[in-house]
Parts: sequence; structure tokens; C-alpha cells
Amino acid sequence: MNNPNGEPSKIEQGPDGSIGADVPLSDHEDDFRLVALAQKGDMRAYDELVTRHRGKIFAMIRNMIHQEADAWDISQDVFIKAWHALPRFEAKARFSTWLYRIAHNAVYDWTRKRKIESAGELNDEIFERERIDSASFTTPSGGEMPDQSMSQSELRQKIQAALNKLSPEHREVVLLKDVQGLSYKEIADAMSSTLGTVMSRLYYARQKLQTLLKDEYESR
Amino acid sequence: MNTNPDEANLALWLDDELEGAELASFEAWTASQPEHLAAREETRRWRKLISGAIPQSEEPPFPDFFNSRIAQGIREQTPALVLPEKKTAFWKSWLMPMAACAGMVFAFWIGAKSETRSIASQITEFDVAGAPRAIPVEQIIYTPENGVNAELFASDLSSPMVIVLSGMAAIPDTMDFSATTYIPREREFNSTADFDSSPAEVTN
Repeated sequence: MNNPNGEPSKIEQGPDGSIGADVPLSDHEDDFRLVALAQKGDMRAYDELVTRHRGKIFAMIRNMIHQEADAWDISQDVFIKAWHALPRFEAKARFSTWLYRIAHNAVYDWTRKRKIESAGELNDEIFERERIDSASFTTPSGGEMPDQSMSQSELRQKIQAALNKLSPEHREVVLLKDVQGLSYKEIADAMSSTLGTVMSRLYYARQKLQTLLKDEYESR
Repeated sequence: MNTNPDEANLALWLDDELEGAELASFEAWTASQPEHLAAREETRRWRKLISGAIPQSEEPPFPDFFNSRIAQGIREQTPALVLPEKKTAFWKSWLMPMAACAGMVFAFWIGAKSETRSIASQITEFDVAGAPRAIPVEQIIYTPENGVNAELFASDLSSPMVIVLSGMAAIPDTMDFSATTYIPREREFNSTADFDSSPAEVTN
């Protein structure tokens, strides 16, 4: 396997070339260690990175496009693109955040391509943006929380059905924030957007979800 | 939504992203703001609800195959290493064509020589006591008439080559061969043939 860049690693190493071998590393630091090895052409290190992050990337993409087979292919494409882009990766952000950014682009490329191929056959519902009263409160009200006795699978189906009715941008910001646990700043990086735009999208997306799940709240 | 710094900080505080001095400042301010405290609590419960219902991570089907496909894709998309072309030495630029020409000439000479030797070997094989004898030569002789066969005989000791035609009709005695021969009239011959070319007879 050829070195993807042929350039020196941007990760600082010890004088003996080891990267924190004696010190227990957090997942974040261990990612950087593996990235540094992968940047030198170590395919086994990259395989380890794939194994670490494939679950999150696959779950994210699958929740975005709702097609398992395509999500499987797109996830692989994300990791292949990430390999080729490794020379440009700098340790300024988490590796996972960087992957989410590549996944974001891959999903939107897939969506555009599918929209062109289907030529009007695409269900417009996923692009529908229902306006929400901008004067409404920024967080869901406490009285509308679903009953805790609802089974997780049933709740998941209802939430996913509600997510499907959001625009791709709103759905993505909810998934990145409330499911993947990224910070506003990381979401802005992943979506190539501004902090204010992310906050605005999350605000409207949560409001929309609250409205869509309202009947479920009230019935329990 | 107003995204001025205060609103932005409020959003960060609601999602537990403020730290340090900013967090302390907001905590002091929101201590007297019960609706904001309730909103933050609700945001926490919301995140817990969503993250509890939808898994953060989900292994893709056939995870080992998933990884191997990635490795294969990387291999296929990685351009093959192209070795730099070696510069041909100056002497090779003219020596190689000359060597090729010399080789062709040598091959031609060897071919011509080997053909001569093969005929000689055939002669030796069939020769008896130095007598002239027929040599089978693989040649095709075209005969314009049907039923006429031609056989070729050659000798190693004498140069004549004889072609025997069988199946032809006998030549009649009345046939005038002179009619088939062109004889120039204004030319003198040193021949002993019975041919009178004196001017007197010509003017007769």
C-alpha cells in the first residue's frame, strides 16, 4: 500500500519515534496515534480506525438516507475518501468530526445524484420544510415528554418517522447533536456552516420534532 | 432566532457546552431565571430521550467484509507506482540499430548457405559411382494441356536440366520448325547450318 501523502506526519512524536506508547491514551489521542501511522502508509492502523468509527458513520448515514444497502456503500466510500484525504488532515479537530464532514458531503452527493436519476420520482416529502412559529419556545415543554414505559423499539420507530419528515439539514443537525453528541462547533465544522446557522437549525428541528411527537406525548 | 453573543451563549448553556468563566457567569445570572433552568432541564431530558431511542453506533452488516472492501477500494484507487524511464546511453542509440542490421545480414547469409547444403546432401545421397542421375526436385511445372505430365531431371555433374513431357501427341514430320523460329535476314552467321544466304539467290 502506497503512502497516501509521502509527507511527514503532522502528529508530534517522541524522540524514539513512538507515539505515547507508555502512557494510556484516551480514544481521542489514540485516534491521533493511529492517524499518524496511517499517514505514513500503515494500512493496519487505518483498518483499526475504520473499525473504531464505522459504527457511528454507518448509523449516521443510515439515519440520514434510510436505506441500509446504500448506507453500507456510502460508508465505505467515506473511509476510502478519508484515506486519500489523510495528508490534509490536521490534528486541529477530532478524527471523528472530520469523518462526519466527509460523510456529510458524501450523503449530499448521493442525494443530488439520486434526485437527478429519479427525475421527479423522488419523494418530495424529505425535502419539505414546514415552517415553525419562530416565537415558540426554544426547547420542548416538560409536559410533552413521552411515557417512559414506551418500549425503546417503538419509541425509536416513532422518532425516526418524525425525523424523516424533517428537511435533510434539520435531520442531520439533530442526529449530530442529540444522537452523536457533537458540540455546536463540531457540527458547524462537519456541515461547513456557521455556529449561528447550526443553532438556528437545531432550534427549528427540535420544535418540529416536538410538534410531530405531540400526540404521542399526550396519549401517555 | 437572534444569534447575538448572548443568545448564542444561552444556547450553549442550555446544551451544557459553556465552560469556565462564562459558565460561572451564566449560572449566576440564571439562578434568578427559573424558566431558563427549566428549559435547560428539558433540553437534557430531550437529549436523553433521543439518544436513548436511536443508537449512536450501529455495526454495518458483515463488518469484516466492510473493512476488506474499503482496503480493496483504496488499492484500486491508488495509482500504480510509475518507475522513471531510464535514459538510453548515447552509444546504444547507434550501436543497437547497427547490431540489428548485422544480425539480419548474418541470418540471410546463414539461410542461403543452409539451402545450398541441403541440395548437395540430397545429391550425395542418391549419387551412384559418380554417374549422372536424376534428382527429385520439388517443383511444380505448369503444363497448359490436360493429360500432359512433366517430370524434371537435373544432374549435379552436368548442368543440363531435362524436362520430360508424357502424354503429348506425336509431332508430325511435316511440321515446319522454321516457321516457329525468327531468323534475321541481314546478318551473317558463322554457322555450319545448311542455310544459303548469298545475295544472288536473294535477288532471284
